[in-house]
Amino acid sequence: MSDRSCDVLIIGGGLQGCAIALHLARAGRRVVVIDKGIAGRQASGVNAGGLRLLLRDMREYSLSRRAMELWADLPSQVGDAASGCEVQLGTGQIAVAMDAAEWAWCQARADEMRRLGFHNEVLVDAPTIRTLLPGVSDRALGGLVSQGDGHANPAASASAFRDATAVAGAQIIEHCALQGLARMADGRWRIDTEQGQFTALQVINCAGAWGAEVAAMVGEVLPLDVLALSMMVTSRVQPFVTPVVIGIDRPLSFKQSAAGSLVIGGGIAGKACLQDSTSFTVMDRMMASAAATIEAFPALASISILRTWTGLEGKTPDGIPYIGPSTAHPDLWHVFGFCGHGFQLAPAVGEVVARALMTGKAEPMLAPFAVGRFTARAAA
Amino acid sequence: MQLPLSASLPTDADVIIVGAGPAGMSASIALAQAGRKVIVLDMQALPGGQIFRGLEANLAAGCETLELMNALGPTYAAGEAVIRAFRETPGIDFRPRHTIWEVRRDGTIGWLQGNRAGYLRADHVVLANGAMERPVPFPGWTLPGVMTAGAAQTLLKAGRMKPDGRVVLAGTGPLILLLAEQLRRLGVRPVLLARTDHLRDQLAALPRLRFAALGPVAKGLGWLARLRLARIPVRSGVTGIEALGQELVEGVRVWQGDRVRHVACDLLIVHDGIVPSIDLAQGAGLRIGWNDALQAWQPATTEDGSAVLEDGASLTGGPCRILISGDARCIGGADAAIAHGRHVAAVLLDAKGSGPQTLAKVRQSLVPRLFLEAAFPPGLSADLPTGSTTVCRCEDIPATALQELLRAGATDINHVRGLTRCGMGPCQGRNCAITLARMIAAESGAKPVPFRARPPVRPLPLQALAALAGVDPRLAEVVSLEDKPQVAVAVRSTDV
Repeated sequence: MSDRSCDVLIIGGGLQGCAIALHLARAGRRVVVIDKGIAGRQASGVNAGGLRLLLRDMREYSLSRRAMELWADLPSQVGDAASGCEVQLGTGQIAVAMDAAEWAWCQARADEMRRLGFHNEVLVDAPTIRTLLPGVSDRALGGLVSQGDGHANPAASASAFRDATAVAGAQIIEHCALQGLARMADGRWRIDTEQGQFTALQVINCAGAWGAEVAAMVGEVLPLDVLALSMMVTSRVQPFVTPVVIGIDRPLSFKQSAAGSLVIGGGIAGKACLQDSTSFTVMDRMMASAAATIEAFPALASISILRTWTGLEGKTPDGIPYIGPSTAHPDLWHVFGFCGHGFQLAPAVGEVVARALMTGKAEPMLAPFAVGRFTARAAA
Repeated sequence: MQLPLSASLPTDADVIIVGAGPAGMSASIALAQAGRKVIVLDMQALPGGQIFRGLEANLAAGCETLELMNALGPTYAAGEAVIRAFRETPGIDFRPRHTIWEVRRDGTIGWLQGNRAGYLRADHVVLANGAMERPVPFPGWTLPGVMTAGAAQTLLKAGRMKPDGRVVLAGTGPLILLLAEQLRRLGVRPVLLARTDHLRDQLAALPRLRFAALGPVAKGLGWLARLRLARIPVRSGVTGIEALGQELVEGVRVWQGDRVRHVACDLLIVHDGIVPSIDLAQGAGLRIGWNDALQAWQPATTEDGSAVLEDGASLTGGPCRILISGDARCIGGADAAIAHGRHVAAVLLDAKGSGPQTLAKVRQSLVPRLFLEAAFPPGLSADLPTGSTTVCRCEDIPATALQELLRAGATDINHVRGLTRCGMGPCQGRNCAITLARMIAAESGAKPVPFRARPPVRPLPLQALAALAGVDPRLAEVVSLEDKPQVAVAVRSTDV
């Protein structure tokens, strides 16, 4: 904690913050990462760990494809710790159509993807989906398969990026909540924290669910909902499903972990308490997720939920993150609001944002994520 | 459907009591006698809790269980009166085989019976869910053939099964002495009773001995005297044990300071005292504190059993409707639990004049505990596990794996759980939380902190969850990501 003045100060030591810090530190920048708690303990470490292109929003596609390459080459980023990240690519992700409307949507999506020249999502019919997913309900009509997809261990990945970032020379300071952010007379940023003051040439706001609060410190209003995304974990069962299974209109999402337990998501939110940095599982809502799981896999009815967890995540109005310079301050970047699908993107976000900061050139890949997209529309 | 958050939901009873042991039964009897509508939920098929487990069935079995009833002795048979009153008092809605997986401060209880689950609500909830045996992670503790004194007693009371072969008992506390005496009465002669407590512990505890404690102490001395008469070897001042064997326990190594003794055995029964079950209280957002003397967590309560809310955010608002009674509040044994259950009922009934009377009995009933706590300090768990000794038996996590992380600076127990899976198994951390928390505390110097408890705190089948009854309409409205991409149909139609 010797260096109080740095080139880049990153607020938030989650995956995005650490991935950016990693590339900047390796390029010789003096980087400080501050985290109000333990780095990677929020959405980065407690998500489902899905690595998917399947049903990925078109605006995220190029970034997501680059991220897949980087996940496949994880040792180049985090070294030996990569083995502990349990990256599984090529095991696939499958979206299951459980009714006629979902099936029609799958067909339309497949047409659309073909038209755009993307071939990773494949439409499969009912007999094929039964082969791919033993135990799937007889009512499944088919689905979309992205065979190159997979998953990784989120807690281990967050921790691996954090450690690699420290090894690369960035200072990671935990239990160091941001208290103030202001421009100094000499043009640099002054960052006040519970562990004292820092100065930096550039600041990156990777504060996740707290991102809008950080933006508000410099008078910037970025719309963000805070969700406490909830997951459930079952007891161990015999290995029966390799791909990650997701729903289309149903709150369905699960994968079987290496340990044999099923990790069930579905995007249902608990109660978020941003000020207390905490969240609560609301079992009254998790019913829907349990029902969707049994509907798709009736044999799982008697499997028990052993535990649940929630993590705070930011959701933007259009479902994709803010990645780019502030509209008022070109040397302040906002990188947050990943809407529950930031885990897979992180390695690419780290690479691309670091490059943009160092070259000062706009990155076409980041164009859809412009920070001012809502204010601009409102003004128009 | 959307109710204002201030509106209260219809209740199912005036009071819901979790646990039909001594505290839960006595509270429900007094409440029902005063005309209150009471629901009592218990995991077991029969009322009685751990101490009076299976008593009703064993009494009904008549001469078939005569020998067993004789062996289990007067402490066990004493439950007959309270169980009978519990059964005979009108107005008690007893629901056996109910597992509780969530408690909320607003008086909501999540229950599971078979494959059905739901929520019940009451103006007040009394947690009388008792105690658990202190986990003892000594080398070899997970070997088949090693069991706790509580498990051995359950086999006796509910299974009517007595151990055979060579039995070694190791540990401390009144329960292991009682069990040794019960086994002796059944004709089972333990080859060794290895006590971790020391005569000097009992001598040091003497100043805490009060008149009200003389009865229990005399009882204990009587058990010991009969064990001596029967020439059952008893060693005190044991400093450590190790269970030996490959597939099954074959023997035990017993340390008394530098002296090591090897004893062959077929069954090793261990006990290191009991500690309050905190999972339900903690999951409800109630304050839990570390009790240094007890070397365990204990919920913060008033003498009346009123629980204290933990600071900060919570799932539901409003006042705390939860009281805690019996061993779940404060380890005191059956008599103390019965006294406290009655007192909690008196407090809830706001009975003029009876409150001070029932409170005096609570105080008196807890007096022996002062002596017992000092006379039988934790022994088997005193030294933290090291090396390959298992800490988390569900996930098979050895102490070394955890020590590595702790030395690297990990101080948050939930973070350690996420990185190692320690505490992620079916027991949901009940058997390792205290050990891991003490290991962390030993490194950091802070007080041990338990895992974050989120519902369900007990396993909940998917089909039960999918058809949950009695959900809170104010909470149930699903908030989700709605992250289905907007391409496909919508985009196509405009493109065409």
